[in-house]
Amino acid sequence: MKKSMLCGLGISVFMVAVVFVSASAQAAETIKIGVCEPLSGTFKDIGERYLEGVEYAVKVINEQGGLLGRKVEVIPIDSELKPDVASRKATKLILKDNVRYFCGGTGSSVGGAMSVLAEKNNALMLSYGMAAASLTGEKCSRNFFRACLNTDTQSYALAMWVANSGYKKVLGIAQDYSFGHEAVEAFMKKVKELNPSIEIVGKLFHKAGEKDFAPYVSQIISSGAEVVWTPNWGNDLTLLIKQGKNLGMKAKIASYFLNDEYLIESVADDSAIIGNVTAEAYMLTIPGEENRKFIEGFYKDKGYYPSWLRGKAYTATMFWAEALKKAGKDDTNAVIKAWEGLTYEGPAGTWYMRPCDHQAQIPVWVAIMVKDSEFYKHAFVGKPTMIPAKDIEITCEETGCKMK
Amino acid sequence: MINQRSFAQFLGWGIFVLIVGVVLPLGVRQYQVALLTEIIIFALFAVSYNLLLGYAGLLSFGHAMFFGVGAYTVAIVLNHISGLSFFGAVMISVMVTTVAGFAVGSLLLRHKGVPFALLTLAFNALFYAIATKWHSITGGDDGLSIRLPDINLGFAHLKTGDITVFYYITLLIIGSVILFCWYFTRTAMGQTVLLVRENEERMKFVGYNTNVSRLILFVFTGFLAGLAGSFYTLHYQFTSISAISIDMSTIVVLMVIIGGTGSFIGPILGACVYIYLQDFLSDITDRWPFIMGLIFIFMILYVPRGLSGLIDSFGERLRGRWHLRSSVEMEE
Repeated sequence: MKKSMLCGLGISVFMVAVVFVSASAQAAETIKIGVCEPLSGTFKDIGERYLEGVEYAVKVINEQGGLLGRKVEVIPIDSELKPDVASRKATKLILKDNVRYFCGGTGSSVGGAMSVLAEKNNALMLSYGMAAASLTGEKCSRNFFRACLNTDTQSYALAMWVANSGYKKVLGIAQDYSFGHEAVEAFMKKVKELNPSIEIVGKLFHKAGEKDFAPYVSQIISSGAEVVWTPNWGNDLTLLIKQGKNLGMKAKIASYFLNDEYLIESVADDSAIIGNVTAEAYMLTIPGEENRKFIEGFYKDKGYYPSWLRGKAYTATMFWAEALKKAGKDDTNAVIKAWEGLTYEGPAGTWYMRPCDHQAQIPVWVAIMVKDSEFYKHAFVGKPTMIPAKDIEITCEETGCKMK
Repeated sequence: MINQRSFAQFLGWGIFVLIVGVVLPLGVRQYQVALLTEIIIFALFAVSYNLLLGYAGLLSFGHAMFFGVGAYTVAIVLNHISGLSFFGAVMISVMVTTVAGFAVGSLLLRHKGVPFALLTLAFNALFYAIATKWHSITGGDDGLSIRLPDINLGFAHLKTGDITVFYYITLLIIGSVILFCWYFTRTAMGQTVLLVRENEERMKFVGYNTNVSRLILFVFTGFLAGLAGSFYTLHYQFTSISAISIDMSTIVVLMVIIGGTGSFIGPILGACVYIYLQDFLSDITDRWPFIMGLIFIFMILYVPRGLSGLIDSFGERLRGRWHLRSSVEMEE
């Protein structure tokens, strides 16, 4: 009896300590934005680049006097790329520090969980990289905004390029899991729709993390494919390009993820990169005064260029700031209302937030990889051509979004 | 067996838990209430695991399969059966978990020790693979989100989305089940499990079918983990492959080792410490699992009986001093 009483005493002392020691009051002086990114583990590098983009945007906002007369504060959240971890940490920030704004770019699973959490707590979640179309499709929420392309629009843009390029034989290669299969199917469907004369000469699926692409490359070569479309990312893309080049593959590669100097450096062979094609919402080579000013400012501050993820995160954060300015008050409902239908002129062209599904309608920049770049010593994306948002629009009815 | 003394203890603990549980959320911030809810859910998960490890001596590396099945079932039924009530979803979920427990348990009941541990690991991997691959049902990597139904009791309408309301529902249901587990360890069946652990040959000799005892316990712990899993989904209104991953199986092992396998209270203490430490450490550093690992190694090496063992020995030392003092006083 005494033993259990002692145990009981131990527990009660501990629980009371849990509750009272960690309770701390914080005044809401700044406007806080929580950045959910993988800041540890395999995808740390991706998360950190997105975070840098948001941090730089907030620096610019604060230098211009902040938002609604208040400073903006960035709170990094290490999502560990796990939706439950992101959700738990964000809940803490909402309940303890009254954080109302969140953003993130890595992991559609994290995006899904954050969307639910934002709706539950009347917060706002902004995605500048989570690409699963369903987030603004059947899973759409009034508290979730996406200011980047999604798998559908990005595939559509590359399909347009391929359909109009004059190439006749296309092959798809992807990692053998749902994302790979869906991306290949969506792309092939679009290509056929746009140019029925194009022949699809094969669809290859390999395990994620494949080390030996030789069997796949020989199939590509024997199929006679002129363009290889791939949604591969990370090492699977690097190795496909590297081994393809070594084994004599001549087909052009069309991919979402070539606009990445880290990847180009790891391929370490410019001739394997040059001539391939990529499509993105932001590229360093986008023409225009806005982009030039942004790149200059960022370079002056950090000593390197705001390529790809950094640029995407920066532009989306500035778009969010515009919505807050328009709303005129730090209130989630007012910001949601203000953002719907808002147009923003940024480094990557004119962005418009569609009210029906909160998917920003943004132009896609398509570019061929070229040898000489004003930014890097290695090959990089050339001057891009813009595909207007209207041309790749997927109507609200097609997305399956029923906004509550 | 339940005697009067045990019943008094049972009642005492019940009242204690009720008072602490009811009073604790009053006057604290909402975040602490959410944290307490999580602690209660994981306390049940850890208690169920300790019934296997501490009571039956069965080391399982796959307890998350039941937690995950519970978590996913609740999400799937709430998404697919419109108008399903809160309790209806929980009932279906624990029923499915019980069936899963029976199916897996039937295949495992002849194994003990290392083969048992490895088979549980293999089964966990199987369930994990199903959750990842069966995208159309489980949502794959994206997970499943749910819309939490409110509870209509006729005389009262409970808004389950409210953090405090959900806390009290969890406290009432999970708290009662934890108390029932305590009661179970005192029943003839509970004692049989202990005896099987201590001397299986002898139990067989006196006529017990030890395989059946183990199966019953396995199914029961599966049921408990499934209930914890379903509340985990209801709490977050979301479930993902984390719930059914080997990581989750590791977490429950950590909780039970930190708390101590030797007592009923140990895993509850372990769940409190784990959840709080995780919350506290992840604020300070992104490398918090490293610190958790160090704590785990320290506990194994220097405090093998866990926190509950530490409290016990501290209590015994206090009692020893008290006895010493009273005997000195009597001599004087």
